[in-house]
Amino acid sequence: MNVIEIKNLTKTYGSSRGIEDVSFSVEEGEIFGFIGPNGAGKSTTLRTMLSIIYPTSGSVTIFGKDSVKDAPEIKKEIGYLPSEVFYYDNMRVKDLLKYSASFYKKDCRKRIAEMAEIMDLDLNKKIDDLSYGNRKKVGIVQGLLHEPKLIILDEPTGGLDPLMQQKFFELLKEENRKGATILFSSHILSEVQKMCDRVAIIKEGRIIAVEKISTLKENNHKKIRIETKIPVDAAIFEFTGVTNVEQDENTISFLYSGDINVIMQKLAGIELANLWVEEPDLEEIFMHYYEKEE
Amino acid sequence: MNMILRELKASRRSLIFWMAGILAMVAGGMSKYGSIQDSGQSMNDMMAAMPKSLQALFGIGSVDLSTVLGYYVVVFAYVLLMAAIHAGLLGANVIAKEERDKTAEFLMSKPVSRMQVLKSKLAAALFMIVIFNSTVLVVSVLMVQHYGGGNEDAGRLAILMMLLYLVQVLFLSAGAAIAAVSKKPKQAVSLSAGVILITYLLSIVIELSENLEVLRFATPFKYFEAKEVLFDIGGDWMFIALSVVLSGVLLIVAFTVYQKRDLNV
Repeated sequence: MNVIEIKNLTKTYGSSRGIEDVSFSVEEGEIFGFIGPNGAGKSTTLRTMLSIIYPTSGSVTIFGKDSVKDAPEIKKEIGYLPSEVFYYDNMRVKDLLKYSASFYKKDCRKRIAEMAEIMDLDLNKKIDDLSYGNRKKVGIVQGLLHEPKLIILDEPTGGLDPLMQQKFFELLKEENRKGATILFSSHILSEVQKMCDRVAIIKEGRIIAVEKISTLKENNHKKIRIETKIPVDAAIFEFTGVTNVEQDENTISFLYSGDINVIMQKLAGIELANLWVEEPDLEEIFMHYYEKEE
Repeated sequence: MNMILRELKASRRSLIFWMAGILAMVAGGMSKYGSIQDSGQSMNDMMAAMPKSLQALFGIGSVDLSTVLGYYVVVFAYVLLMAAIHAGLLGANVIAKEERDKTAEFLMSKPVSRMQVLKSKLAAALFMIVIFNSTVLVVSVLMVQHYGGGNEDAGRLAILMMLLYLVQVLFLSAGAAIAAVSKKPKQAVSLSAGVILITYLLSIVIELSENLEVLRFATPFKYFEAKEVLFDIGGDWMFIALSVVLSGVLLIVAFTVYQKRDLNV
């Protein structure tokens, strides 16, 4: 079953870019990555899903219900962590969390205490006095305290130190094991790679690919780097399957996808000093996607 | 209920300041009456010697300053202005602040509709102007009774407060409508303040010039006259109806637009 179904969603506003014809769906129990550089339209998409802003055209269906018409109903089972966390300044952390919990017909006290313990969050501090990272933790607890079936995270790791990130990811994985679906938006590939089953890649307001992480990694790209004894013109590598050619004196590196024999024959004709053939990391594949689009 | 309580808590401090302001204005103003009481008639003569424009500015139109209620009419002109500012800014603020302080994203991710949000905020605001109004009533009755030797009619003051409440509701609704329509939350409060200022200036202009009576419709400051309420006929039904209808229309605008527009986050 699809927990989220986004169909031809377009949102245009005055000056900012917005999004155009965005479609993807997220299955129940999935950890779905939503990745793209800053300003690509990730937050716009998420805010439209939550009816903070309304679609210009297209539709979002969550739990089989319309995201605009049934917004309050849907939100009972959604936990949302916005990219920038702002809370009522004069409140203490525990008051904010109590207020947040008061919207759900559940007793969340135990869960608040548990999560504060895990995230190392002081409940008695004033929100004013918190650092960015600690505010983010408030946001995390606030978003998870009612054990939502769908967790929507917009750039959740900003400001968290690596140890905290680790704890946070474990928390998310635990929620996922219990059945929660997670939509995880980020511009940092490594964290998406670590967490997610599938990703949608967004660029300038349009989805350019929806892929399994495993597919992305195994699409036969090789990262090849050679060191030659005498300078060689990099132009000899300009043929089908070769991208991202970079030359630095006697070193040439590029990405290759295609018949491995073809490239080996090519390389055999060159006087090599050294050769590396590696799996490219996701970052490079990602850049590759971006360049292909242009 | 949780949103109403939150709103009341958030505005608690500011409301206390306003109540202190009312106390200072009414008690302070009336205590001056105590000091001029003896020279009452000469006070009247002095005021009468003032140019009409100055009289209008002080809110002294043809009332007998030697009587306690006559003097109270002058004090009340300032109370009315305070009440309008309080209600107008409150109406704009309760709505605009979620966007201005960027808490709208938090609030709207909760299982509540825009309708519920607006209802709760307005309920809290209406309650706060009741507190404001009651404070004015209590302080006014106490002061008027004190300086009038206990012979004055508190019932008339109560009617005056009911009319004041209608004007408060009208300014509150105007502020709310402005904030609901305005896409820039920071502008909403200043716009609302602008509306209060313009309608107030208009009321002074009307006071100065006899042939502008028709403009009374345009400024709630002129929907009723304290001296008429306190001394003879009470409120004017047409203006009472007008303020109720206008408030209703403004609230409908607020609800309709706020439910449909994108929140500024």
